[in-house]
Amino acid sequence: MNVEDVLSSRLRMKILKILMQVGELNVSKIARRLGANYTTTDKHLKVLEDEGMIKRKLFGRIRLYRLNESSPKTQAVQNLITVWEHANKQHTTNSW
Amino acid sequence: MAPYPSVFKDETKLDISYVPYKLPHRDRELRLLMEFFGFLLRVPDKMTQRIIITGDVGTGKTVLSQRFGANVIREANRQGINLRYIHVNCREYRGSLFLIVHHVVSIFHPNFPRRGYSAEELLNILLQILDDQKTHIILTLDEFESLVERENSEAVYKLTRLQEIRLNKPQRISLICILRNLKVIEKLDASTRSTLQSNIIHLKRYLKQQLVDILNNRVLVAFKHLTVPEDTVSLTAELAFSENGNARFGIELLWRAGKYADAENSGMVTPECVRKAASSIYAVTRKSDLASLRIHEKMFLLGIARFFEQCEKAYASLTETEQAYAVVCEEFDVQPHSHTQLWKYLRTLSALGIVKTEVSGTGSRGRSTIISLPRVSAYELEKELSLLLQKEKP
Ligand SMILES: Nc1ncnc2c1ncn2[C@@H]1O[C@H](COP(=O)(O)OP(=O)(O)OP(=O)(O)O)[C@@H](O)[C@H]1O
Ligand SMILES: [Mg+2]
Repeated sequence: MNVEDVLSSRLRMKILKILMQVGELNVSKIARRLGANYTTTDKHLKVLEDEGMIKRKLFGRIRLYRLNESSPKTQAVQNLITVWEHANKQHTTNSW
Repeated sequence: MAPYPSVFKDETKLDISYVPYKLPHRDRELRLLMEFFGFLLRVPDKMTQRIIITGDVGTGKTVLSQRFGANVIREANRQGINLRYIHVNCREYRGSLFLIVHHVVSIFHPNFPRRGYSAEELLNILLQILDDQKTHIILTLDEFESLVERENSEAVYKLTRLQEIRLNKPQRISLICILRNLKVIEKLDASTRSTLQSNIIHLKRYLKQQLVDILNNRVLVAFKHLTVPEDTVSLTAELAFSENGNARFGIELLWRAGKYADAENSGMVTPECVRKAASSIYAVTRKSDLASLRIHEKMFLLGIARFFEQCEKAYASLTETEQAYAVVCEEFDVQPHSHTQLWKYLRTLSALGIVKTEVSGTGSRGRSTIISLPRVSAYELEKELSLLLQKEKP
């Protein structure tokens, strides 16, 4: 998929942010944090997994997802998010 | 009065969570544990171990296994073996096998969900995780009683038999079960019991001298130099010994005594601090017991209380208490009773548990009786007795 197709989804960006924060999470908890339903969440997870950006581990019926830290795409997005949030913080302190 | 600095150097050394490097009088058991697990360090995939540790309250079961855990991990790291020691207090998880195993799983996967599967599935998940990470664990189930009480035999059986049914796979989980009394596991069915009862290490109650050694070691690391005299340690050990040899009681008492010393700005943990601390722990000696004493018994006891209040010692000789009694008699302007009668009074006081009498060694000076005030503060006692005696002044 093209970069604009993968990253244009608000939920997918949010999934990446969540996994960046907490490390590892199962599907229903990701869904709860997104405020989305299970099927939708699952669909987005599938896209990210197909892109090699996240990894899945299966324990019986439990699926745990985490970032694939060795993927350059993931690294790039992690960078993007960090820079973005840093800049936002700077902005709020400057505007004081 | 110039305030003294605190008597404590490092209070955390008296915490229940502190695991000392040296455990006086438990070296044999520590060595035994190491031997039991020796082969696990040699052929970790082939074998696992199951140990039961029993012993009364405060005999060092928990601290022994934690010390062992730290030592065995150090050794495993040295040999490049992937081994973790995991200590779980079953009571904290209300004895639920599911919650206990969940806790272990979440050490490896911190956000592991709590819902949607059974304890048995979770156990298999744990094995899968350990296979993935090529890790072995020694799982200590402390206060194992609560697991036995909450779960049935089947659950315990699952826990112990789990890996035996995994053919041709490496062994992963060794168990140390800690419980006060073996009787508890009699509730389990025979086959479950037989999987558990292989190696049993029983910790005997500590004797007074052993408690002295344990306390002395703590004094060195927790208190400033020369703030805790020998008598204080001896009295504390004595009290811990009469509480079934409970080392925890002794350590806590020592800590409280230090708090009293600080509160009084005395810069020294005296035996009286220990007595005050003890009476804050025990129910205070019942005032009705004191009131029912006869007048000379009261005066004798008052003498004993004053003696301890003034001299900062833990033990008194019979002569010393007789002298103190004579002074009280002078004050109340009565004739002192005879030595033989005082002996009887002493027996009464000791039967009531107010004083403690002991016959000391058969040294060159012959046998002599030593007297201590184990459970009450001399100060409290003197206050109470003075009041009572005021009322019935002859
Ligand atoms: N041999 C020892 N050397 C040093 N400290 C000890 C020793 N034995 C016990 N202690 C200390 O005494 C306290 C009580 O020990 P521990 O908690 O291990 O007892 P326990 O047998 O587990 O008691 P319980 O049955 O109540 O759980 C702890 O603070 C522990 O560090
Ligand atoms: Mg314990």
